[in-house]
Parts: sequence; structure tokens; C-alpha cells
Amino acid sequence: MLELVGVTHRYDDRVVLDLERFQVPPGAAIAIVGPNGSGKSTLLRLLALVERPTQGEVRLDGVRATGPAARRRVTLVEQRPVLFRGTVRENLEFGLRLRGHGRTAVTRLIDDVAERLGVAQLLARRRHELSDGEVQRVAVARALAIEPDVLLLDEPTSSADRAAAQTLYRALAAERARRPLAICLASHQLEDAYRWADDVRALADGKLAPVTPENLFRVDLPPGESLAGLKHVCVGSIEVATNTDKTGPAILAIPPTDIFVSREPLASSARNVFSGRITRLSHPRPGVVHVAADVGVELVAVITEEAVRDLGLMPGAPVVFSFKASAVRVF
Amino acid sequence: MDFLAEGFRRAFALIFSVDAEVYGIALLTLKIGLLATLVACGLGIPAGFVLATKPFWGRRAALTVVNTALAFPTVVVGLLLYGLLSRRGPLGGLEWLYTWQAIVVGDVMLAFPIAAALAAAAVQGVDPRIRRTAETLGAGRWLAAWTVAREARFALAAVITTAFGHVVAEIGSAMTVGGNIRGQTRTLTTAVTLYTSQGDFGLALALGIILLLLALLVNVALQALQGRGTVGRA
Repeated sequence: MLELVGVTHRYDDRVVLDLERFQVPPGAAIAIVGPNGSGKSTLLRLLALVERPTQGEVRLDGVRATGPAARRRVTLVEQRPVLFRGTVRENLEFGLRLRGHGRTAVTRLIDDVAERLGVAQLLARRRHELSDGEVQRVAVARALAIEPDVLLLDEPTSSADRAAAQTLYRALAAERARRPLAICLASHQLEDAYRWADDVRALADGKLAPVTPENLFRVDLPPGESLAGLKHVCVGSIEVATNTDKTGPAILAIPPTDIFVSREPLASSARNVFSGRITRLSHPRPGVVHVAADVGVELVAVITEEAVRDLGLMPGAPVVFSFKASAVRVF
Repeated sequence: MDFLAEGFRRAFALIFSVDAEVYGIALLTLKIGLLATLVACGLGIPAGFVLATKPFWGRRAALTVVNTALAFPTVVVGLLLYGLLSRRGPLGGLEWLYTWQAIVVGDVMLAFPIAAALAAAAVQGVDPRIRRTAETLGAGRWLAAWTVAREARFALAAVITTAFGHVVAEIGSAMTVGGNIRGQTRTLTTAVTLYTSQGDFGLALALGIILLLLALLVNVALQALQGRGTVGRA
């Protein structure tokens, strides 16, 4: 088990991560989601032991983790990974050679992982001959080649097209089926996170958010109150009504289960009513559908499959999202 | 113009006739230059790595000192070293004054800041993700540093070339602590100065040409060591 315990991390005097406990159990598939700047990359760098937390510690199997021995069990692929000089094959050899594998074993392991990640045809190329997406796949192959106990991936599909992303997720699933491997992945694509991970955790302003990870927005709450004690907060191109008394920078969350979905505006007590079009429908588990719609900003609502059928919802169709001001969480 | 042409004729005659004195001076210069470069870079490049990568108290001040030392006048270094090595000085017991060892020490003092400052700049120019990536693949401190050095190999080769060039070209320190003693501490630069002042332009020119050839030789050797250094390959 890899874990952060009592960690506070600062850059200069700014706290960028504040986590009482963050655990990556053996064999887990964890997705960390959150807006840019929420601390996802910092969290992964601390877990990867390439940065030391300002306070607190990183533990591996209950013991404080430091030094190369611990780092050989945990590896990180950064959002914009770099390759060393030399060929792709030489890059894949790097971690294997320092683990003392012989030439034959190295060749076999590299050919195997390159095949699984779809980079076999790139083995003789050098880094300047690769696209960003290819570099990302090679970096993941380089990390998988050393067979770590924990693989940390920071936005591993940010430069990949849909097909390449699917190849990557399939390879990760196959690797987990083949041997015990915990994966902790930072992503801003909720759909991928839900499809792939067993455990989705939301990070906001360096803290684990006490809500589900959909519909999280960084906002600036205006001072004072408007009519009826409600505060109208700009989120993208819409104004969301909420009854908070906070002011200044904050995270605003709209729980997806609190959004009513309809084809026409409803006469109701909901202070937030937004029209838009459905961008996608996804099925994270049987009977449940995530309806994503562009209503001036992308919002996700969770409804049943039966409701989708009754309303005749499909991508591109007009839709109305309604939710009460009291449903909006601010923290 | 005749005087110049005659100078060149005499220079090439001395070079191709394998004149013992000329080659003796050249070999001593090469020995001193290589040894001083080896020691200065052996100490200076790791120091540059530390300055570039390790946060420690006084790091900024250390960088300022090293950068300032780049412009140290060679004759002042020679003077300081003279004070240390003279009989009344703290290192007088070594009896190194007016020996080739004293010239090596002076050259190391001159080349060390060059190696440290330029190595620090070379390492700072390497993407920090290279080191992080090496570490996260399991590399220890030394292998991670070696990986960074491989990325900065052209810049680090330039550090060695610059240090060697500075060492073989300096005259102030070599003259002050070496004394320009024939057959013992006479280097190419001190000999060029001496023979020019004596009016033996041909011999001075021959030694000057050999000095240039030495610098060229070291550059070619370093480029060969860098291996596949074609532009655009990485």
C-alpha cells in the first residue's frame, strides 16, 4: 500500500496540497479528477517520491518511503513526458538495465511491452522523430516495462487520439489482469475516469473534495448578497444562483443527482434553469446514465436509463437542466 | 612582409625538423594543460552540478563567487600562488615554486571557476524532467546525474574545451610561479613571449602555430569522444 499521511505541501508560502491521508491500495485503479491547478500533478509527484512533502510523509507498506529502493516499486509518467537521448528501444532498456536484467531478458521484455502498447514499430526511432502522442505511449511502455507495483499516470491520454487512448486503457487493463498492479491516474476526462477506474476521487484546491467529481468549478464569489439572500455566481457563460454567504475564491459543486432533466422548462421552485444540447450519454454502470449537456458550461446529470428512454434523450437533442439554489455546494 | 614570410618559413622548418627544444616545450605544455584541465574539470563539473541542482544555504553567493572568478586576472592568481608557495609562504615546504607542478596548481585555480560556472549553466539548460524521469525509473543519485550529463554532453564538452583553451593560453600565472626556466617550466606561451622579446620571430611563430594545433587536436579528440553528434539527432 502506497499512502500519503498528514501531508501538506507548499510552493513558496502557498499550500498546494493538504491531505490528511491518501491511500493507493495494492491492485487499485484510482482516477483523480479535478480542475487545472487542483494539485493532481503535485500529488502524483509526491507519491512517486520525486518530490518530498513539506510536511508529512509518504509510506510504502507502512514504512516511510525514501530513496531508490522505494522508487523502483513506484513509477510516474508525467503529463508531458520526456524521452532520453537515444532510440525508443534504449529508452525502454533504461529501467530494465539498472534492475540487472540480462540482454536476452531485456530484449524479450521490451518486445513484449512494445507490442502491448502498440509502439513496436517505433523502437528504432529517436525522440525527435515521434509525435507527442507517440512519446506519451512510449513513456507508458517504458514505465510498464519495469513492472512497478504502483503506476502513476498524469493525464496519459492528453496528447492521444481516441483510438490511441483506447489502446492505452486496454493495455492497462490487460496488465492489471496479468499481475498485481495499482494504477493511480490523474485525468480531467470524467468519462474515461468512470469507465476505467474502480475509485474516482475529486481534488479541489489541493484537498479531496467532499462531493462527487462532476460539475466542479473554481469560482470567485462576489461580496454582498442579492435579492432573497441568493448570490449569483458566474460559471462559464451562465450565472448560478446559490445561497452561500461566502465571498472570494471558492469551489462550487453541483451534485449531478440533484439536477432535474427535462425536454421543456418546468414550472418549479428551482432557481437554476438552463437550456442546452446533450453532448454525450454514458453508462458508468447498469441502469445509470450520465447525461452531459452544454448549457453555457458543460454540466453532468445522473438519471436512470428508464428516464432517458421516456424523455427520448440522445446526443444533440435539446434539454433543460434545473436545480435548486440550495443544492449548490460551495467550499 | 619579407620578415613575416621569413618568420613562417622558419616556423615550418622548426616544426618539420622535429626540433627537440620546440617539441620539449610543446610536450610540457600538453602535460600541464591536460593535467590541469583534468583536475579542474574533475572538481569543477561536479561542483557545477551541485550549484545547478541542489538547493542549499549560500548557493546564490557561491554562484556569484564562481562567476566573478571567471574574470580573475591570471597574473593576480599567479601572485597569490607565489605568496603561498614562496619559502616564507604557508605552502613553502612543498618546494613547488618554479616547478611545473606550480603551473598546474595555478592553472587549476584559473580553470576551476570556468568548469564550475559553465557546467552549472549546462546542467541548468537540461529539462528538469530528465532527472525526475530517471529517478522515477529507479535511478539513484549518480545514475540520475549521469543521465543529465548525457543530455548536456555537447555543453559539457564545450566546458572541457574552454578550460583547456584557457589553461594552455594563459601566461601570467605560468610566468610568475613557473619562472620560464628552459627545459623545466618553459611553456608555449612563456616561450613565445620570451622569443618575441628576443627578436626570434620565427621560433615564436613556430611555437604559436604548435599552440593552435594543440587546441585543435584536443577539440577534435573531444568531438570524436562525443560520438554520434550529428545536428538534429538526439
